[in-house]
Amino acid sequence: FPAVRLCSGAGQDVGRSCVLVSIAGKNVMLDCGMHMGYNDDRRFPDFSYITQNGRLTDFLDCVIISHFHLDHCGALPYFSEMVGYDGPIYMTHPTKAICPILLEDYRKITVDKKGETNFFTSQMIKDCMKKVVAVHLHQTVQVDEELEIKAYYAGHVLGAAMFQIKVGCESVVYTGDYNMTPDRHLGAAWIEKCRPDLLITESTYATTIRDSKRCRERDFLKKVHETVERGGKVLIPVFALGRAQELCILLETFWERMNLKAPIYFSTGLTEKANHYYKLFITWTNQKIRKTFVQRNMFEFKHIKAFDRAFADNPGPMVVFATPGMLHAGQSLQIFRKWAGNEKNMVIMPGYCVQGTVGHKILSGQRKLEMEGRQILEVKMQVEYMSFSAHADAKGIMQLIRQAEPRNVLLVHGEAKKMEFLKQKIEQEFHVSCFMPANGETTTILTNPCIPVDISLGLLKRETAIGPLPDAKKPKLMHGTLLMKDNSFRLVSPEQALKELGLAEHQLRFTCRVHIQDPRKEHETVLRVYNHLKGILKDYSVQHLPDGSITVESILIQATAHSEDQGTKVLLVSWTYQDEELGSYLTSLLKKGLPQSTP
Amino acid sequence: VCVAGYEQSDGNEILQLIPPPTLLTKETQGLCPERDFKVECGGFSERPVYSLKYVPDTSLLVTSGPPDSSLQVWQVSAEDSDVIKSVSTLATENGTGQSWAKIATISARAPWVLHGSRLDRVQITEVESRKNVYTAASRGSEEISSLAFLDCNTLLLCCTTGRLCLADIRQPQSLVEAMRVPSASCSERWCMSTRHGGQGLEPSSQPVARLSSRGLLTLTDLRKTSEVLALAKARVLSPGSGAEFLCVSWAPALEGYLAISGFDGTVHVYDTQSWDSSGKEAEPVFIHKGHAFGGAGGSGDLPQVTVHTWHLQKPRTLLSAASDGSLHVWDWVQPCGKC
Repeated sequence: FPAVRLCSGAGQDVGRSCVLVSIAGKNVMLDCGMHMGYNDDRRFPDFSYITQNGRLTDFLDCVIISHFHLDHCGALPYFSEMVGYDGPIYMTHPTKAICPILLEDYRKITVDKKGETNFFTSQMIKDCMKKVVAVHLHQTVQVDEELEIKAYYAGHVLGAAMFQIKVGCESVVYTGDYNMTPDRHLGAAWIEKCRPDLLITESTYATTIRDSKRCRERDFLKKVHETVERGGKVLIPVFALGRAQELCILLETFWERMNLKAPIYFSTGLTEKANHYYKLFITWTNQKIRKTFVQRNMFEFKHIKAFDRAFADNPGPMVVFATPGMLHAGQSLQIFRKWAGNEKNMVIMPGYCVQGTVGHKILSGQRKLEMEGRQILEVKMQVEYMSFSAHADAKGIMQLIRQAEPRNVLLVHGEAKKMEFLKQKIEQEFHVSCFMPANGETTTILTNPCIPVDISLGLLKRETAIGPLPDAKKPKLMHGTLLMKDNSFRLVSPEQALKELGLAEHQLRFTCRVHIQDPRKEHETVLRVYNHLKGILKDYSVQHLPDGSITVESILIQATAHSEDQGTKVLLVSWTYQDEELGSYLTSLLKKGLPQSTP
Repeated sequence: VCVAGYEQSDGNEILQLIPPPTLLTKETQGLCPERDFKVECGGFSERPVYSLKYVPDTSLLVTSGPPDSSLQVWQVSAEDSDVIKSVSTLATENGTGQSWAKIATISARAPWVLHGSRLDRVQITEVESRKNVYTAASRGSEEISSLAFLDCNTLLLCCTTGRLCLADIRQPQSLVEAMRVPSASCSERWCMSTRHGGQGLEPSSQPVARLSSRGLLTLTDLRKTSEVLALAKARVLSPGSGAEFLCVSWAPALEGYLAISGFDGTVHVYDTQSWDSSGKEAEPVFIHKGHAFGGAGGSGDLPQVTVHTWHLQKPRTLLSAASDGSLHVWDWVQPCGKC
C-alpha cells in the first residue's frame, strides 16, 4: 500500500513542494522545490527524512518534477549534485527545456547579487539536467519492470503535468500545481477516470473563492488604461514565459476593441524566446492558440512591438513588458529607474517577488530605494500588484476528484486547521478518506489490491445467463472454484475443477430417523404420511412410489417398524447435501407427529 | 460575509467568507495583492437555509428553513478548526401548515433570537439556555414576512399581508397594531426593513419601508402611523414564482437610500428623499444587472436575486446573491455632481 511522506521541512506557507511516496516497495520523489522566502538551509527540503543511511540513488527509484516553477524544481540541482542522486529524473519536454533557464537565473541572483556560497553552480545545473528523461503526455513510461508513470495535462504553466505512478494494480496520482479553468493561452487540466488508490493534490488555494476572471482582467485593463490616458507609462515586469503571454493577448484584444493608439512594447529577447518555446511546444497551449498559430504566429501582435532601449526615453504614454520579473536586474530594472520618479507612471507587478529584490521592496511599501553607488531612488510612480496565478481553488479540487475518482485523497500544503471543512466536504461528497499530513509526517494509506484472475468462458457464460445483466459498476457475486497454479489464478466451474484435478465429486447423503407412534401396519403409516405431506407441501412434488416409499422432490422417505416396539414406526428420511434445507424442514415437520384425523 | 445554500436535498453548505482587503476598509487601498474571497470556515446543513443571522457578541449563528419552524444554532469555528458546528436546535411547537420561521437577533440583556413563522407564534428565545423569555400575544394567524428589534425592548413585526405590529416585551400581552396597508390586494405579499439609526436616535423615529410583490413601496414613521410618509411604485414586473425572495433594505451610510430585489435578476437602488405620497412610479438611481448577465446561462432559467445587503462602511457598495450561486459586490458611480 502507498505510504506517503512529506519532506518539506519547516514552514506551512507556500514554500517548497517535495513529497515522497512509497508504493508497493518502490520509492518515488515528487518535485524538489526550493522555498523562496528563506536565505539559509531552510530553503531546501530536509532530505535526511528520506533515508537515514544508504545512498539516495539506491533508495529512490525515480524523481518526478511537475513543472518549472522554482518552488517545485528549485532544489533539484542541490539534491542531485550536492546531496547526491544519480537515478532518473522525469519531467515533460517543455519543463526540461525551461527549468535550466530559471535555475540559472535564480542562481545568478542568489550567488552573484547576494553573495551566497552554499549554492549550486552553473555546471551542477547542467550535470543535473543530463539525468533528466523527458516524457510526453499520456505516454506510459516504464521506469523499471514494475514501476510505470504517465503524465497528464495540468494547465497552470507551459509544460506543467500531473503524474500517475503505477506499480501493479496500485497507483497514486500527484497533481503538482494545476488549473481547472482554461485561460487565454493554456487549457484546463484533465485526467481520465483512472481511479487511483490515492490522489495527492495541492491545497494552498483551497480556501479561496476566486473572483471572476472577467473582473480581475477588467481591473488590470482599467489600471493600464487610466495610466495611459493621463499620459503615463506602464511597466510590467515579467518572466519570459508564463503570465506574459496571457497579458499580451489580453492587452492586444483590449487595444483592438478600444482602438487605442499608445504603443505597447515587448523586450526583444523576450519575444524571441517566448515564440521559440511556444512554437516548439504548441501542443501544450490551448485549442484556440493551436488553431490560430497555423495561420499566424500567435505572438506576432498587431499592437505590440519589439522594444528598443532608447524608447524608454520617448515622451508620451506607453506600455512595456520587460524581464526579469522581480525587477532585480536587467532591462526591467533599468526602465524602472527611469520612470520611478514620475507619479503619472505605473508599475504593475505580476506574481511573487523574492526577498531582497527591488520588486519585493516596493511591494512591501518601500518608496526610497538604495541603488548601486549609494544612490537613493525615490519611487513616485504608482505601484500595483496583480495576481493572475492559475491555481485550482476548492471548486477545482472537487472537479479533479470527480474526474479521477480516487479511493483516497491527500491534501498537501494547506494549514491543517483551515482544511477541516474541505476534508469533510470531500469525504461527504465522494465517500473517500481524506488526509492532511503536516510536513515531515508520514501518512499510510491502506489499499485493497486487486488480484486479476482469469475466468473460464464456460463459467462466465453460465453466470451471466442467470438473471438480468449486471450493473457494470457493482460487484457481482459468482460461484466458482479458484485454482492457483504456478503464478496464475483461474476461476472455473466446480465440475471443470474436479475434471482437471482428476477427482470425482463426492455425494453426501444424510439420513434421519423419525419415530412415529402408530400401531397400524407399515404401509398404512406410509399412506398417512403421504396424505399428510401432500396436504401441506402443495408446491412440492410429493409422490407415493409402488415400492412403498415416499419422495418429496428428491428426498426419500421410507417406513419400517421399530425392532422392539410394534407400536412405533421409524421413518427414514434421506436427502443429499444439496437438499439440506428441504430435508431439515421435512424432518422437523415429521417430528411434530401426524395429525390424528388422517385416515 | 456568510452565505448558505437552500436546496431541498441535504448537504447545503454554510460558508463564512472573508472579503478581500479591498472590501474590508472604507477607503480603497492602493496595493492589494489579494482580491479573492477566502472561506474562513464552513459547515453542512441538512435542511435548506432560508434565513441566517449572527448572534451579536457571540460566536454563534442561527438559521432557519423548511420543513418546520425550528431554528438551528451553530458555533462558528473555534481556534483550532474551520468547521461550523451544529450546536443545538431550538424546537418550536408545530402547528399545521407552518412554514419556516423568520428570525432577528440581539444581544442586549443576553443573546436572544426573535422568531416565528406566524403572528400567533412569535417568541423570543435565549440562545444559549434555550429558554423562552417572551411570547407575543396572539392577534391573528397571518404569516410573518419579517421581524426586527427596534431596540432591546421593542419589536416590529411585518406580516405578508402588509400589516405591521409593534410590541413592547416588558408588557407581555400587548401587541399594538401599527399599520395596515392602504388598498392591498389579497395576492400581494409584503416585507419590510427598518433602518438602524445612528447613536442616540430613537429607533422608532427611523422610517419603516415596506415593499410589496407588485413593487409598491411605503415609508412609515412609527410615531405617526395614521398616515404614510411616502408611497411610490418601483418599475418592476411582479415576480413570477412567488415572493419568497422579496427583499428591501435601507442604506446604513446614505441618508434616504434604499435597495430592493427579488423580482428578477436585478437590484434597484432608490433615493427616497424626493418621494411624496402620491404613489407614482419612482426612478431608480441605479439598477444592478450583473446577475442577469453572469455565468453560463445555458440552462435557460434566468438567475433570480435571492438577497442583497449594504456594505456597512462603504456608502455605495452593496452585496447581492442570486439563485445561480453567484455573489456580487458592486457599487455605482453617481453620474453628476455629488461625491
